[in-house]
Amino acid sequence: MPKVPILMPQLGESIAEATINRLFIALGDTVSPDQEVIEVETNKATMGVNSLCAGVVSELIAEEGVSYAVGSVLGILEVTQEELDRTGETAMDDAASSSSDTASASTAASDDDNLHFKTEDTGYREPVRVEPNVKGLPVPTGKGGAHYISPRMRARMTELGLRAADISAITGSGGGGRVTVEDLEAFLEHIDTWPRTKASPMRLAVADAMRRSWTRPLATVARPLVMDKILDHRRSQAVKPGPALYILRALAMALAENPTTAGYLIGENVVHPRAFDIGVAVQVDDGVLVPIIRNADSKCLSELVEEYNRLVELARARKLPEDAIKHGIATVTNFGTFGLTWGTPIPLPNETLILGLSAGVKRPVWSDQTGTFIPVTEAEMDLTFDHRVVDGGGAGMLLNRISELLQKPELL
Amino acid sequence: MDINIEALDRDHVRDVFRAMLTSRILENKLGSLYKAGKIVGGVYLGKGQEAVSASLAAGLVQGQDVYAPLIRDQAGRVAFGEDVLDCTRTYLGSVEGPMRGRDGNIHRGRPADGMLAMISHLGSAISAICGMLVAKRLRGAMDGVVGATCVGDGCTSTGAFHEGLNTAAVEGLPLVLTVANNQYAYSTPNDRQFACEDLVDKAVGYGVRGHRVDGTDMLACIVTMQDAVSRARAGEGPQLVVASMLRLTGHGEHDDGSYVDDGLRSSELGRDSIDVGRGQMIEHGFADEAEIAAWEVDIAESVQAAVAQAQKESGPDPYADDWTAYANGALQNG
Amino acid sequence: MSDVTYIDGIHAALNKALADDPSVFLYGQDIGKFGGAFKATKGLQDLYPGRVLDAPISEDAMAGLAIGAAIEGARPVLEMQFADFSSVAFNQIVNHAATHFYRTGVPVPMTVRLPSGGTPGSGPFHSQSMESLYAHYPGLVVVTPATVADAYSMLLDSIAMDDPVIYCEHKFLYRWLKSESFEGDYLPIGKARITRPGKHATVVTYSAMVHEAVRAAEILQAEGGWEIEVVDLRSVKPLDTDTVIASVARTGRLLALGEAFPWGGVTAEVVSRVCADGFHLLDAPPVRLNAKDTPIPYHPKLWSAHRPTPESIVHALRKLLNY
Repeated sequence: MPKVPILMPQLGESIAEATINRLFIALGDTVSPDQEVIEVETNKATMGVNSLCAGVVSELIAEEGVSYAVGSVLGILEVTQEELDRTGETAMDDAASSSSDTASASTAASDDDNLHFKTEDTGYREPVRVEPNVKGLPVPTGKGGAHYISPRMRARMTELGLRAADISAITGSGGGGRVTVEDLEAFLEHIDTWPRTKASPMRLAVADAMRRSWTRPLATVARPLVMDKILDHRRSQAVKPGPALYILRALAMALAENPTTAGYLIGENVVHPRAFDIGVAVQVDDGVLVPIIRNADSKCLSELVEEYNRLVELARARKLPEDAIKHGIATVTNFGTFGLTWGTPIPLPNETLILGLSAGVKRPVWSDQTGTFIPVTEAEMDLTFDHRVVDGGGAGMLLNRISELLQKPELL
Repeated sequence: MDINIEALDRDHVRDVFRAMLTSRILENKLGSLYKAGKIVGGVYLGKGQEAVSASLAAGLVQGQDVYAPLIRDQAGRVAFGEDVLDCTRTYLGSVEGPMRGRDGNIHRGRPADGMLAMISHLGSAISAICGMLVAKRLRGAMDGVVGATCVGDGCTSTGAFHEGLNTAAVEGLPLVLTVANNQYAYSTPNDRQFACEDLVDKAVGYGVRGHRVDGTDMLACIVTMQDAVSRARAGEGPQLVVASMLRLTGHGEHDDGSYVDDGLRSSELGRDSIDVGRGQMIEHGFADEAEIAAWEVDIAESVQAAVAQAQKESGPDPYADDWTAYANGALQNG
Repeated sequence: MSDVTYIDGIHAALNKALADDPSVFLYGQDIGKFGGAFKATKGLQDLYPGRVLDAPISEDAMAGLAIGAAIEGARPVLEMQFADFSSVAFNQIVNHAATHFYRTGVPVPMTVRLPSGGTPGSGPFHSQSMESLYAHYPGLVVVTPATVADAYSMLLDSIAMDDPVIYCEHKFLYRWLKSESFEGDYLPIGKARITRPGKHATVVTYSAMVHEAVRAAEILQAEGGWEIEVVDLRSVKPLDTDTVIASVARTGRLLALGEAFPWGGVTAEVVSRVCADGFHLLDAPPVRLNAKDTPIPYHPKLWSAHRPTPESIVHALRKLLNY
């Protein structure tokens, strides 16, 4: 037989619950339509609760002296289908009527129980909005120092594909030397007739990587490296390792001894390297590629040569697989091949170290053993590091250790 | 009040009583629905005021006259011709009702049919009824037309009451303004509401005719309202009718009216106009007990059917609503 | 025709509406034989007997009467003697008129004329601008004509509209503003107008402040060749966001200017909409300029410093342009 609930009514605009004063019905009683079955009391008034149809009390949940929230099921009537049709009442679902915990005191909800005021989920959703995610404004320096890029300026720059660094050339006329949109337009008009070439994708990728890397405080330290033992060792090898591979192997060994030097500062943590994967910079047309030598700390030099040579070849042919250029912790770069005697290389944005090697130069060095000047081949090692993570002393010790390791190339 | 029974129109008396009875049975049902948790928002009943309310509206002609019922005018609404379904649909939130779920309970009407939908701000309908009459006068359709509204004792303290009645008087409009003095405005008794001896004395100040009647006496109400309505219809200008009775219910169903003075309950004012009316019907042969009993069964069935129908109908769908407050929809959200 | 004024435009529109539509009638204090406090209805009672009605000093009942008449099919035009006094009718306007169509589906085609804004010596209770208050309420249309042609055509449009319209007419413009004709480049209610094109900054304003903004623009033009665009909203509800945003897209800078009090209101709404929908168009933070946050003072010296002036508008614009 259909079941109809006796509900705690809404007893005034600000009333959330009411206390049962008296029950006029007992389990099994027959009630008639519009009969007052329960008396309840709010902090404002004493009121009756009615049944709306004829039926038999099949469940009596309410207890005298207990408070129930508006909309709570206080009891259940069994009602004939005919009576249901006559009154327009809605029968309860079997699931909802079976358990008496539908009306645990003061908890049951609200006007949802009234069919006409129930707001059903029709699947409508507010459109998803992108939450603003401002992590600090890029601040190109103008004559007045760091300044603000207006929303319009940003929109116009996005439209033109410009980055904050691109407008550093513009003298601002706005408040505090701010670059206004008019300044930008005037600048663009000014350079409009200048010769220009389209930057290659490689160029843009390098530019992007360097710009991102440059957001950190990078510092460079250097020390000389006596090359003679390396050159001797190299001459003795059937497959000759390049000079960059020697310093790569030495760097990997030195970092394995003291991994925090290659740590990455994220928030309040220094994240240590998981593996000593070291890249090597290879100059290609209009850019640089950095293939990665995996686990360079655990393979000896002779094991590394073949892999190194293969990756360098692939890089020059621009056929490096995607995974060969990902997730290194440091890079070595041999700019000595261009005859350069020093440099300040910039690490990749996802790395914190880059070790550069300059051209070797013959120099007279005083020998206490022989009491004469003797000729040695000396190069300079330049190490750029993220000063947030490593200090000059730490970087110097790393360089010294590399130099030390390189004096015994047969152990590499 | 001496009443010439022979002069009364039998059908009119029967219409008034039947409207009163309909109102009472319907309101009992509304109270029951409220006490069963079926109604969101308040329930405001006119128990005790049926005679005044019905006898005013029964004298009006739907389609010609205009009428602005207030909070306790269920009987008047029935007498004016409002379908009981309009009431149950509005209380139960059916989208089929005249207010479509956008407003509820007694805040309903059919303005296009001459019955205004009240707002909660007391007295605002008095000048609105005046406006409807002015519009009819403008198009030459005011001859024999009456505009009527009913307010309570509390409303007589508002500025709107004063401005509205004064305006009707200045324009000489055929307005019947009934004050149902039920002794309490929510919980505030008359002695904290006004200081004059009798509210009908206000008529003199506005230069309109005043009528005083015992609001519990059905036949007296019928005679007084017929007099007031026919004078207005005949061009004698605004009529102020003050009827006295006791509100036999709380302000709303959430209110048990415990503050009502026991002395008033047991006084003549505390009589139930339905009981008085029933006695008058039988005593003067307008209907016998059996006939009234048959009416009651008949009315209860139609009320139950109207409740059942409204309960089975859908409530408004917030995703289908056009959410437009403008007749010219293009103006929305501008 | 030569030298017709803003108040002539209102008078002519009322005359035409009465002549064209027998359901139109006028209701207000002193509007009959006397012709109204500002003579907007002068002579109309003789021309249209029974349709130009003097009201008692009962703003609540006046509005209620207009509402009832509108529900019953008439098109009442209510004259509040001063916009300030419409506060007495506030309940009827915002609770009765504004909600009626939404609640019942029956429209309320009434027009409420509000003689608005300050004139020297008028003081706190005869100078107010009420447009922001009424614009807050759903169901009301709020118009603020700034020109003779708009005063004329927008009043006719308001009377013809099925929704309740609050027609804010500026008292300062009544006789000061002259034109050769009532005809102009007609725009419907809800459309803003570019009064003066420019490219360096946009001033969004309405009513009498349109003229002050144009004067400020002329000063800046002479001073430094600045080209200031002036947008006349014409109606503040609905507010023509598209035209405002399009103007800011041209200039990148926004000054929202109004004669009303500074807390909230039309100028705040303009700034809010531009920031929400046109953030990427802004090259400088938007600026608002309103009257001071005090009651409107009586003395002309205080009064003219209380509301925005060409000088204070120029000052605000200069700051905006120098950002």
